[in-house]
Amino acid sequence: MTPYVITFVLMLGVFMVGCFALKWPVGVSMMAAAVIGAIEGGLGTETIRMMVEGEFGYVDTILTIASAMVFMKVIEDSGGLDALSSLIIEKFHKVPAILLILIMFIIMFPGMITGSSTAAVLSAGSIMAPVLMLMGCDAVTAGSIIAMGGLLGMIAPPVNTAALIICAGIDVPYVGFTGPLLLLTFPLAIIIVLLLGLRKVKNLDYEKLKPALEKQDAVRKQYGFKIYLPFIVLVILMIFFKVLKVTEDLGMPVIFLLSAFVGLFTGRKINVLKTVPEAIRTATPVMAILMGVGMFIEVMTATGVRGLIVMTCLSLPSILWLIVACTSIPLFGAVSSFGACSVLGVPFAYIYASYLGGNAVVVLAAISLIASVGDMMPPTALAGLFAAQVTGVKQYTKILKKCIIPIVILLAWAAFFLAKSKLIAGLF
Amino acid sequence: MKKKGIISTCIILAIAIVCTVIAGTSFYNKRNFKEDIVTEGSAVTRTYKLSTYNKNLKGTIANVDIYVLEGKEPGGSILILGGTHANEPAGHMAAIVMLEQLTVEKGTVYVIPQINMSGLSHNDPLEGQPQFIHFTTKDGSVRTFHFGSRAANPIDQWPDPDIYTHKPSGQGLSGSETRNLNRCYPGQKYGTLSEQVAYAVTNMINTEKIDMEIDLHESSPEYAVNNACVAHERAMAIAAEGVLNLEMDDISMRLEPSPVTLHGLTHRELGDFTDTYALLLEVGNPSQGRFRGYTDEKLVITGEDPCYVIAQKLGLLYVDYSAGNFPLSLRVARHVAGCAAFIQAYNDSLDDDARAIIIDNVPDYHEMVETDDLGLYLR
Repeated sequence: MTPYVITFVLMLGVFMVGCFALKWPVGVSMMAAAVIGAIEGGLGTETIRMMVEGEFGYVDTILTIASAMVFMKVIEDSGGLDALSSLIIEKFHKVPAILLILIMFIIMFPGMITGSSTAAVLSAGSIMAPVLMLMGCDAVTAGSIIAMGGLLGMIAPPVNTAALIICAGIDVPYVGFTGPLLLLTFPLAIIIVLLLGLRKVKNLDYEKLKPALEKQDAVRKQYGFKIYLPFIVLVILMIFFKVLKVTEDLGMPVIFLLSAFVGLFTGRKINVLKTVPEAIRTATPVMAILMGVGMFIEVMTATGVRGLIVMTCLSLPSILWLIVACTSIPLFGAVSSFGACSVLGVPFAYIYASYLGGNAVVVLAAISLIASVGDMMPPTALAGLFAAQVTGVKQYTKILKKCIIPIVILLAWAAFFLAKSKLIAGLF
Repeated sequence: MKKKGIISTCIILAIAIVCTVIAGTSFYNKRNFKEDIVTEGSAVTRTYKLSTYNKNLKGTIANVDIYVLEGKEPGGSILILGGTHANEPAGHMAAIVMLEQLTVEKGTVYVIPQINMSGLSHNDPLEGQPQFIHFTTKDGSVRTFHFGSRAANPIDQWPDPDIYTHKPSGQGLSGSETRNLNRCYPGQKYGTLSEQVAYAVTNMINTEKIDMEIDLHESSPEYAVNNACVAHERAMAIAAEGVLNLEMDDISMRLEPSPVTLHGLTHRELGDFTDTYALLLEVGNPSQGRFRGYTDEKLVITGEDPCYVIAQKLGLLYVDYSAGNFPLSLRVARHVAGCAAFIQAYNDSLDDDARAIIIDNVPDYHEMVETDDLGLYLR
């Protein structure tokens, strides 16, 4: 195992030096760590093939992020975002607690039907960010609510990609997950959004807020109903293809692009040649991180570092497995939450569902919730980084700090489900 | 400053182009590599294409060869599927060893060693596995075979849905399972490429009235269904006798019933949608497991892995890994011996021998394990 330790330390070291000493972008640091790991690990001529192959592991996610960012920029530039924010505040300002919960569910919705926190944060999150801020939340609080909504959305049914990855790893059909996932996520969503936001919005005074909404109101008046068309198209297409499954799935990238296309004609004039490159430029760092993650995991796997990490976790005394699962899976999420599902989620699922005789569905659902926290872990922190971006928070760490208590509650809830999977399964 | 920027951009671009060419060439070679399966001198009496059973496969990578070994006397028939999961090389190699080595006295043996050719043509991203494995034969020549992916190549079938809905059961599975051939049975004539292949196999069994089908697989040593035979309920009696036959030869094998609620697999759907006796064989493969360490061709061939040694000590495995290895020669030998034992059990189940299948020249299990050199069993 010693050679694996050397490779692991070297990869980690190069990554840290690149990130913190040389101030390279995270994606570039990961690529450098992968290259050095591959050379030291003796991958030789296979190095370049494996680096490119690793990138392919995240092609679908990269396409979703790029298209979601184009959609977001279009609705921002067209005035659609302003109009929708003003409308929601006007209709629900009398019941701020209910409004907060409603907003949380709206943030979760795209995650629920795509299984991606990024999709949730970039679509509904970006729409709800100004609403939350107009209600009285500061940018960090708004970002924290959006990030946590993204995490819970990606785990809530019907589509939970994290659970699906583990299902494929241990040959469990994706059947019977709706109940356990609803019980895992919706109570948490209500508690977390109230915990984070209620203190900020309970004294919401709509009359005082009105002058601040002038710009948004003007857009609504100028363009009327048609300003909302991109959102309506997005929701209809998602329901049509993801929920009702009327025909073959178009996929989220095409759905985002079709909705963005509609947005070109429904509000302020948009210069496509300016807006689209700007959107892609904004998404580039995250897309680069994902490419770096792909290379990093592929090299880790080929050089034995992945096996080292898995066996180190499982070698700990069995009474610590619960704590190990609740810490190692989110920590590996610093590289990639979906990667954590495959690398650590599957072995822990074997342990809890097969070796310890738990209920497979509840075990998988709980592990997927634990894995979702990985999307808050720096440096990749997809949910956190995008939440910071849509709320204009410069330092993402402020959002992470604010989310620590909700994350602890989430992990405790998931750990309870994992430990008592048979008991929970008895409820369904 | 601007000039400096242009220079660095050009350098990065040049490096990117070089990487693209190197990686692209590697992927191209993998995709287009043709394995030389030797029929000369073997008992193969004819070969024909899978598209015979689904014309939609014509012109696709999935239009693979079916190798037929016909006995001197007519009798029953068996279909052996290899390479369903192309990252499980024992299934692929065992099918090749059998078609190159077996002789048939009575009945017909159909072998499709590359049933998932699309999966053989690429590797799984993030898994860091080798592209090829090599063996030196008796005459000193080196033969090369694919090590591939569990799933079909995205070039042939992409994008994946969020959730794959199996037809006709309506069961939901992970979206990537839409490219898993062994989740697509009984198949769809006009479906995805994997569904079309599955349809062809189902149609072949019905058309040729094939009596028994054995799908050869491998599984992670930490996976509960391991060193096992999974049998459809109609095939359970034959499977039970086959397992006893193997036990008498000191080969231990678990017997697992095909789960009624897990759809799309050969042992479930071919049993339900055809009259064949559907069986699936599993054997432990460290090179596909999630506990594995350094992943290369050596691991595939020898099955030696320090991480699995630790896992064995922790009691986390479902195979006996006390020797510290699980070589490919042993895994292939188990499959070959398994097929012979189940054919024998099938023959024993017949009231008369009109539909019997009699095979000969089966490589000896103990000899294969002892020599630990698969190349000796290739032509």
